[in-house]
Amino acid sequence: MSSHDVMPEMSLYQPVRVEDAIGIANQFADRGWLVGGGQDTYGWLKDRAKSADALIDLKGIESMRGIKETADGIEIGALVTLTELSNNPLIKERYSLLAQAAGKVASPQIRNVGTIAGNVSQDVRCWYYRRGLNCYRAGGNLCYADTPEGMNREHAIFNASRCVAVTPSDTGPALVALEAQMVIDSASGQRVVSAEDFFVGPNVDITHTTVLGSGDILTAVRIPAKWANAQFYFEKVADRNAWDFALVSLSAAMRVNNGVIEESRIVAGAVQATPRRLTSVEQAVRGKARDEATANSVATLASRDANPLNYNHFKMPLMDNLVKRALRGQA
Amino acid sequence: MEIIRYRRDVWGQEVILGVSWDLLWLVAVTAFLLLAAHAIFMAALAKKKAMPSAEGKRVRRHEGIDRAFHWIMAGSVLVLIFTGIAPIIGLRISWLNIHWIAGLILSFVCIFHTIRALFWQDFKSMLLGPADFKEPFDDTIKPGKYSFEQKGMHWAMTVLVVAVIATGITLFLHIDSPWWDRPSVENEATLGIFFLLHGISTLGLIAFTAIHIYFAVRPEKRFYTRSMVKGWISEDELNTNHDTDKWKPE
Repeated sequence: MSSHDVMPEMSLYQPVRVEDAIGIANQFADRGWLVGGGQDTYGWLKDRAKSADALIDLKGIESMRGIKETADGIEIGALVTLTELSNNPLIKERYSLLAQAAGKVASPQIRNVGTIAGNVSQDVRCWYYRRGLNCYRAGGNLCYADTPEGMNREHAIFNASRCVAVTPSDTGPALVALEAQMVIDSASGQRVVSAEDFFVGPNVDITHTTVLGSGDILTAVRIPAKWANAQFYFEKVADRNAWDFALVSLSAAMRVNNGVIEESRIVAGAVQATPRRLTSVEQAVRGKARDEATANSVATLASRDANPLNYNHFKMPLMDNLVKRALRGQA
Repeated sequence: MEIIRYRRDVWGQEVILGVSWDLLWLVAVTAFLLLAAHAIFMAALAKKKAMPSAEGKRVRRHEGIDRAFHWIMAGSVLVLIFTGIAPIIGLRISWLNIHWIAGLILSFVCIFHTIRALFWQDFKSMLLGPADFKEPFDDTIKPGKYSFEQKGMHWAMTVLVVAVIATGITLFLHIDSPWWDRPSVENEATLGIFFLLHGISTLGLIAFTAIHIYFAVRPEKRFYTRSMVKGWISEDELNTNHDTDKWKPE
């Protein structure tokens, strides 16, 4: 891949209202590129691995900022930065899972400009794809990572369908655990999609990671009160503690009464193209004590049915161990 | 409008990626216009013929096993077409597993049908010879078991289905399956040619499937569709549409 010192030439639009942004996005369709914090955008464009005719900068839209309390929980504007999210008193008090996940994204500099919408909508980090190769995800006929010689240490161990890339989002699994709702605006109105349904795997749409289509704008994320002040667990394992993507992450929300888990949502990140809910673990721990014994008895359920590639078998015990650590609680 | 899609391979060489899916719309619109024109022509201008009666003595046209083959094949072709074009037209469904399973079913049923047709059925009744080409232009010539149009449709579908299966199995070998892991692809250009051939044969299959369904529901042909469901045609339908010297049903 040739290197470039400057960005390619393209038009820049800076709307201040969502409706205007939608209008511009529809005008340019696939040739328009929505940008918030830009942390996933500028690399693509500067490397010429992807291109756009118009950059639609959403940062001027005030209605997409701020964190506010609602009748049923909180609403987070799509442009809220990851630093704001991790430092917000309301989030820290009620949904510390999300604050922790946001606080583990990349580096402080990136968190200062990267947004919640960008973190959940970012593209996969497979280096074959990022290098600009014409793999399945880029519309081609091949996956370079899933071959006998492919370097796939960071890739999927579940639900690969031709493409084996994983979701790189740290906040995505946390939002799925918290039963968040994603608010999407488009020319045809507003729709609300559960975080679980927001992410799409390659079996359904190999060239996208979310349900967002051309002209769709993720404007807010709503978190219901259901999981406020529940017991949470977040852990991200990466090769480096800072500025790295997860090898495996785990987000768990649990309702615990007298030491017994009444309900839980346990979600793993970086093991498939979408956040993976560990429903077999959730069912197995229902009604059981949150302790070491429960953790030991169910942890291996997490990696059951995994289909690892040549270089990522280590993700299976890693995932099991994260589940074990999440479930053993303070014991 | 492009015909073929090209991409650069890992070495930077331009290689074929597959057929352009702009052609899907061209095929769909062309097939629709031609069939609509035929329907209008038949309704407004064609000579009206009295429809033979479905009452009276019945004559067996298709055995149960052959009808079952036909409908399994029809179902798998329709599933293959739907799952194949779903991602192209933007329908978000998990299509790939359904696609290859339907493809395998179609392959096995076609093998079964070929063996049965060669050894247990009257294979010659489906052969298309020079004499058959006079049939559409001479009202006095009646066909045996199968008319010129039916033979033509059968052989066109045969060529297309064999092409779709052959290229489809080649592509199937390049993805993960319950029986093997996907291999490395040494030559992207060759793979692209298989995608191109699979795409072209698919477009042909879509066109001929549309034509086949259209004629299956046309009033004057509907008794053939009934025979593919129930197995029989009436003696009146036989005598009106077939030469009993060429086809002597049981």
